Formats: sequence, structure tokens, C-alpha cells
Amino acid sequence: MALAEFLAELETLQAAARQSLAAAADTDALEAARVEFLGAKSGRLKTVQKQLGSIAGPDKPAAGKRFNDVKTAVEAELAAAQERIERAAEQVTSAAPFDPSLPGPRPRLGHLHPLTQTIEELKDIMGRLGFTVASGPEIEDERHNFEALNIPASHPARDPLENFYLTSAGVATGEPLLLRSQTSTVQIRVMENTPPPVRVISLGRVYRPDTADATHYPMFHQIEGLLVDRQVTMADLKSVLRLFARSFLGGDVHIRFRPSFFPFTEPSVEVDMSWHDTHQGGAIRWIEMGGAGMVDPNVLRAVGYDPEQVTGFAFGIGVERVCARRHGVTDIREFYRNDVRFLHQF
Amino acid sequence: MIVSWDWLKQYVALDMTPAELAERLMMAGLNHEDTHQVGDDWAIHLEVTSNRPDCLGHIGIAREISVLWDRPLKLPAASPPQIAASVNDLTQVRVDNPRQCMRYTARVIRGAKVGPSPRWLINRLATVGIGAINNVVDITNYVLLECGQPLHAFDLAKLAGRRILVRQARDRETFRAINHKSYALDPSTCVIADAERAVALGGVMGGAETEVSGQTKELLIESAEFDPLSIRNTARKLSLHSDSSYRFERGTDPQGVDWASRRACELILELAGGELASGVIDVGRQPPEREAITLRFAQLPRVLGIDVESGVARRILAALGNHELRADDRRVEVIPPSWRRDLTREIDLIEEVARIHGYDKIPEDAGVPMATSHRTATDRVLAKVRQALNAAGFDEAMTPSLIEEPWSDAFSPWTRSAPLRTSMPVLRRADCLRRSLVPSMLGARQTNESLANPLIELFEIANVYLPRDGGQLPGEELMVGLTGGGDYFAVKGVIEGLLAALNPAVELDVRSTRQELLDAQRSAELRVQAGATRDLLLGYLGQVTSAGLKRFELRGETTVAELRLAALSEIANLIPQYTQPPMFPSVARDLNLVVDECVRWSEVAHTVRRTAVPFAEAIAFQDVYRDPQRLGPGKKSLLFTLTLRSPEGTLTNDEADQIRSRVVEACRAAHGAQLRA
Repeated sequence: MALAEFLAELETLQAAARQSLAAAADTDALEAARVEFLGAKSGRLKTVQKQLGSIAGPDKPAAGKRFNDVKTAVEAELAAAQERIERAAEQVTSAAPFDPSLPGPRPRLGHLHPLTQTIEELKDIMGRLGFTVASGPEIEDERHNFEALNIPASHPARDPLENFYLTSAGVATGEPLLLRSQTSTVQIRVMENTPPPVRVISLGRVYRPDTADATHYPMFHQIEGLLVDRQVTMADLKSVLRLFARSFLGGDVHIRFRPSFFPFTEPSVEVDMSWHDTHQGGAIRWIEMGGAGMVDPNVLRAVGYDPEQVTGFAFGIGVERVCARRHGVTDIREFYRNDVRFLHQF
Repeated sequence: MIVSWDWLKQYVALDMTPAELAERLMMAGLNHEDTHQVGDDWAIHLEVTSNRPDCLGHIGIAREISVLWDRPLKLPAASPPQIAASVNDLTQVRVDNPRQCMRYTARVIRGAKVGPSPRWLINRLATVGIGAINNVVDITNYVLLECGQPLHAFDLAKLAGRRILVRQARDRETFRAINHKSYALDPSTCVIADAERAVALGGVMGGAETEVSGQTKELLIESAEFDPLSIRNTARKLSLHSDSSYRFERGTDPQGVDWASRRACELILELAGGELASGVIDVGRQPPEREAITLRFAQLPRVLGIDVESGVARRILAALGNHELRADDRRVEVIPPSWRRDLTREIDLIEEVARIHGYDKIPEDAGVPMATSHRTATDRVLAKVRQALNAAGFDEAMTPSLIEEPWSDAFSPWTRSAPLRTSMPVLRRADCLRRSLVPSMLGARQTNESLANPLIELFEIANVYLPRDGGQLPGEELMVGLTGGGDYFAVKGVIEGLLAALNPAVELDVRSTRQELLDAQRSAELRVQAGATRDLLLGYLGQVTSAGLKRFELRGETTVAELRLAALSEIANLIPQYTQPPMFPSVARDLNLVVDECVRWSEVAHTVRRTAVPFAEAIAFQDVYRDPQRLGPGKKSLLFTLTLRSPEGTLTNDEADQIRSRVVEACRAAHGAQLRA
């Protein structure tokens, strides 16, 4: 048998099968069509298959391949016809038509503010490291915001224009009061009332005069950790920060200290954290994390601790910055606009 | 501080690349901002912390490099030749305000030829961003940037009486600075004057009338020390900040005053010629003796957590300019250098050793002892509140603590006192510490309305700030603020759900309240019972009036509420105790009671519950129905379902009907209620 003749026969057969299967309106008609074309003993495909033997040797593979393609196609059309007939039968038997792809009544779930989510995660990690949350007032006196933190009256940070002082009206004692410029104030209050050891984090709103722009806001959130005990060292500080960073970021994170200056810690450092960026061929990327240091002996003395007996470390992290980087927020003012479409992304 | 690579090379060998230099300096405390090329030179921008004014000059940076790379530091001699004539015969100096100007020195050069500076000097100044003026002025700028000591050169012939008087400015005295602007002064400002008028703002800026020009023949070179606070006040008050004021505000090297003067004279003689009169007029206090500081070597591991060999520590301290007085194997005693006023205590020396030795030597895997921590009760309550409100479809907002006055005035249920205010607004016009979260919630609502967001259901948990009489600090109280798009009952239902999440046994009580922002009828003061006796104020709830909506530029209706977190904390049952639920089935009875309009549902429900004890499992309000024709005027009927269950056995229909009859009778007696068939 010539190849062309064989292929023409297959073509005719496939067209006939398609027509019969499409025309079948019930399971009986479908079964008849199945037997006619795909029947194991004397179906028309079987008959054609037998002719394969008479094809000349070199043409055999092409003929065989074509035969298999047609067989697969006819089987697929049979399956489709089967499903069509079954679905039609269901429509007839069940009382009402049913479309399972329609949406369900979705409960409206509110979202937590992304800053809250970040704060809770930071608190949670520090909690596992043994740090308990402490809180204190946002309106502070100069002793807690400055003096006990080793910031003397001559320090530039004391400048009235660098702080939000309250107007005297409404302040009962006449003592100057201001919005706290850092949450270290809470550490002072904790140490004043607690003998060492102390292991706390304080967090909350702080206020510094800054024009609001994409990276600044005159109000922001800070989280600060404090650990005071016998034999606390800078190695402990670095190690706690590394545990913290590994927990927060996951993976192989390292800590780098750069010397810096804060009145309430000495030595003072800027803290960077790193990880091997697998997207950049394992290059190390350093990211600023916050400020830290060993509690200045003057601060320990100001709260009645003996710096010869105890040492301590403290660190502070700006929540907005961490949250913005984590979620790719490019303008921190978004945090305080409260556009529902923004809130629903977190 | 911008430093020139070419300039630094004069003091210390630079055989590293600019990038290596910047990296190492950053790790020693000088943050690198950027490096860029200027001509054949590199300008390296370094951030200098406020405790390190010694690094506000090239020599200071060079010294750090010499310590870090262990290279010798080469400093100019600054010993200009002098002629016989004495400076004392040429001018006089008097200081009337030694608290503002602690020390004033003057030298005089005659016959210098004022003209353009040589190329190398112009280039170095250009690298650090300073324009050239003339050789004398350029040299004073150059020496300032070399050692950090500001200088000023006067045209001596233009000084009335050829003398200097340092004094407080007279009230409303005017002064024209070299920037050709005029300033009105007051006595808080320290001025350099001649016999007649102010000729310079001490430590801030020189004056136009006595500045050095091409005609100048005689120079008076001022090198002085001013009080940092006084300089800062003047610079701020006049909005006049200069390289000079920047350095004086941070404190200059007391020993550098004379060196800088000699160095400037040396350069002037070299580049402009002339003759230097012998001697110096030096008025005021001499640099105070520095006190010795002892470093106990054992303190290094105690603070740093690593051992640093005593030899290494001593070498670092000496290289930084500390003069070693004595040392043994336990301690070293040093006199710190005059340019390092920040070094006064042992801990300061520890930081220096650590900084130079390298913080990378401190391990990051120390075994920090474990400790327990506990979650505070407030945090537990906050978590439950947030969870309940999220589940009710409310999104959490965060708004600024300060608001503008009209908003502050709009709603203040917690205090009648005026709000606390900041002396300058935190954000545009916002200078009132908020006494309520509600105005901020309405503001956030307005933002969302303007964005056409369809559903706006918001809450915030934050402090309000309440002025207090006689106390110490003002009161700060955490509140939960809510704004919803539904009516009074929609938000009331959310609050009821929130209370149930904290403690199912607590009931919400309402009383009438008068709040201008809220609808007179559809508003309430909310109360809860804590324990058997304590009746707590929980907060306020109400639909905002149309005038109130207008005030906040809102189009759609809203209901607001504000709840005291303290009350929620007090009623919260954080560790509920198990009671076994009854095993027997319940039966329900529907009731329809007709009462006078003045009778409240809560009163009826209370009577029902009390009467049906202990069988009342639930009293579910269904509807209220009014029809003057059928019920009579001033009447309403209350439809509700009473679910009954006994802990002791299945209630029969008869028993349930008996309880129902008792309930009807009690409601008749207490509220005049009639059962409606």
C-alpha cells in the first residue's frame, strides 16, 4: 500500500469520527460511535492499523506516527464528548443550574498597620531573647530626656529649635517639658525604679523637628533595647544584635560596628547588618540598622548604679526605616496617610 | 568636612587608594559620604561627629591616617621670622567680655603685598569648595581648613584708633558683614570692635569695612577662642552660619590658637611678603592644664569583651597624641592632647583603643546568658483588641499625635482644659497635642473619601494627652478610636463584639451624653461593670452630625467612638476559667411585649435575665415594632427570643412555659409590659 493512500484513509477516518462523536446526543449514541471507531476488535482504527504492515519499509515510521496522532486525537474527542453528555445529564437531573466558579461572600477582614506588624515582630524577637517591654511617657522633662542621658545644657541637641518644647500654658509645674526625642527616656525611668539586672526594650513615638519628606517625618517610632548586668560587654551587644538580625532577616547575617557618637553611650557605634546576596553572586551587602553602644558610666551613675559594679549596652532602631525597607515603601509619609488601599497591602 | 587628597599628602604618606582610605577611615569613625575628582585632585567628603572637632581640619584627618597606617605625621614648623619692632607699639587689644571671648591674640604684619594666591593654594581651596579671594584672605581660610582654628585678618589702618576692643554688642547696634548684609545686634552677641564700631561678629564673620583689600598695607591677624554656646546663639539668631562658627560651636584646640596665628603669618610672609612685628598680644586665659586620665587595662576586656594587649593600647594612645606619664602592667596614666577635649575619662580612652584596634575584632557569637521575659498585660489586651477589630473589618490607622486647633476644638470628651501645645507646629499648623483620637480618625476618613475608597472602617490605638492640675507630667492615656461608615448600631455592635472577645460576661451600658459633634439622640456615653460593684466609664459613641461632617469636609455619614484602653484592660479576662456547658438541650420561647416608648430595651432585658436565672442562656433581640393604631400612641412592642436551658435536665414544655410566664409577669410589674398575642 502506498503511503499517500494510507494517509488519505486516516484523514477520512478522523473526519468521520469527529462528526459522529459531535453528533452523539446520549450515552448510547456515544457508545455506538466508540465501538465503530475505537472498538478493540473490529473498530475502523484497528482495521487501518492492520494495513500498516503493508507499507514499504522506509515509509513505515511516518505512517506509524501519523496513525498514533490520529488515534490520540480521536480518543481525546471521545473524552470531551463524554464530559459534555454527562454535564448535560446533570443539568437535567438537578433542580437548579450551578456555577461553582461564582465568588463566595468574602468577609471583610481588617488589616493591621504595617508599622504595628513590624513593631510586633521586633518585640516578639526581643522577647525570645529575654527582653521585656517597658513603656514611659511621650511628654518628658529635661532630666529624663537630656540630663540623665548625659546631654548637658551646652549640647547642640538641647537647642530649643531641635526639640518640640511645650508652651508654658497648661504645664502645671512651670518646669520645661518637651516631646521626647528618643525612647532612651524610658530606660532612665526603668533604671531609676529597678535595681540591676535590667533587660528591657522600650518603644513608641518620638518627635524631632524635621520637614516631612519621603525619608523624614517629625514623628516616628523607635525601638530601644537595654541590658545592664555584671559583666556585660560589647561582644554581648554584637552577639545579641546578630541573633536579632538573623531572626528578623533569616539566613547568614553578620554585624558590623562603625564608631559613632551618642551622648548616652560610650563606646558608641553605628550598627550595620549584612547578608550574602545570592542575587549578586554572593556579594556582601551592608545595611544600616541603627545606633548602639555601651551605656555611658555617667548615665549609670545618674540612675544610681555603680559603673564599677555593672556595665550595660543599649541599641536603638528606627521602626519606619526598617518597615519601609522590608516592604519596599518608598515614601514614609504613606504610613500616616492611612489610605485604605495602602493598609490593605499588608 | 571635605578633604583634599593632594593636601593630606603634605602631612602623611598616602600609599593606599582613595577608596581604601575612605573605607578604613569609615571603620575608625569618619563616615564616608562620597569622593569625587576636582582637577588632578580628589575631594573626599567625610562626616565628622560632633565630639570630634579636631577632625575639622586636614591635620586632624592626617593624624587619624598616621595612627591607622602607622606612618609618621609631618607638621609645618609655623615659626615665621620677626623684625625688631614690637606688636605692642602697633596696636592694642582689650577684652571686656571674657566669658564670651576667653582668649584673643593679635599679630601685625606690615608691607605685605595683597594680590592673587599662587596656583597650588587656589587649587587646594577649590578642591574643598572654597573660592579664592586674595592671598591674605585665602591664607586665613587655608589655615582654618588646615588645623581647624578660625582666623581673621583686619586691615589695621581701617581700625579706628588702630585698636581692638572685644565686647558685647550694644542694643540695636548695626553691623555690615563681609557678605554685604547688615545685621541688627543685641547684647547677647560678642563683637570685635575698634574704637568706634563693631568690625566683626566674634567667631562668626568679619566686617565689610575693615576687610583686607588690594590697598591694604598693614594686617592685624586675629586668632581667638570663643564660647561655643555664645557662638551658636549668635549664628542661629542671625541665621549666619560660617566655617568659623561651625568650628567654634564644637570647640577648638586651645593650644592651636597661637600655632594657627604663627602658621598664617608664616604663609603670608612667604606668599605676600612683608614684615612680622615681634611678639604677640595675647589677652585672656591660657590653655588650662589637662588632667591626667588612668586606663586600667582590665577595663578593656570588661567593656569590650576582648583582650587587648597593654602594649597595643599604650601604642594607640600615644599615637593619638596622649602624653604617657607612667605605666605599669596594670595601668597607664596619660595627659590627653589639647585638641581632644572629648577625652576626659577612662571610658573615653577605652573607646579610642577599641576604635583604632578595630571593632571587627569583637566577636559576634558570645554566649549571652538566657533570661525570661514576659508579655505585659497591656500587650495581651492590645492584641485581643486588634484581633477583634480586624475581624470586624476595621483597618488599623496611625495618625500624628498633634493636630491643628480647629480639629482639636471639635471633640474633647475627656477634658475641658485647653490642649497642651508645642511652641512650634510639628506638622503644618498642628501644634495641639490631641485630647481625643476622633478628629484624627475623621481626618483619615476624609483622606480616603477624597480617594473615592468605597469602604472606610478605621481604628487607631494611641495616646491622648490630658493637661493635669498640680501634678508632675501631663496625663497620657491610651485610647481606641473608631470611625465606621455604618450607623450608630453598626458601630455599637462592633464594640459589643469587642467586649465579648475580652470578657463574655461583661455588659455594655449606655447613658445619654452631650457632644456637639454627635447627634443628640444617636450618641451615648458607654459604661461597663467591672466585678460586682465597679462601674467604669468606657467611652463615647455617636453618629456625627451634618455640621460635624461639614467641619471635616466629609460627604458620607459616619459613626465614631472612642474607648479607654484602661477600662478594656480592667474588664479583660485574660485567663478564662472553664465551666462545663450544660449537657441538656435548650428550648426557645419567642416573646412580644408592648411597653411605653420611654422603656428601654436594656431595662427589659435586665428584668428578663434576672427573672429567668439560672435558665436564661440567651436573650436575643429581634425587632422593635411601632403602630399607633394597633398598639396605641406612645407604645412599642419588643420582639425577642429567650433561650432556656437547665444544667440539671431537659426542660419540658411546661417548665419552659412557666418560666416564660414568670418573665411576662415580672416585665408587667417592672415596666408595665403587656404580652401581645
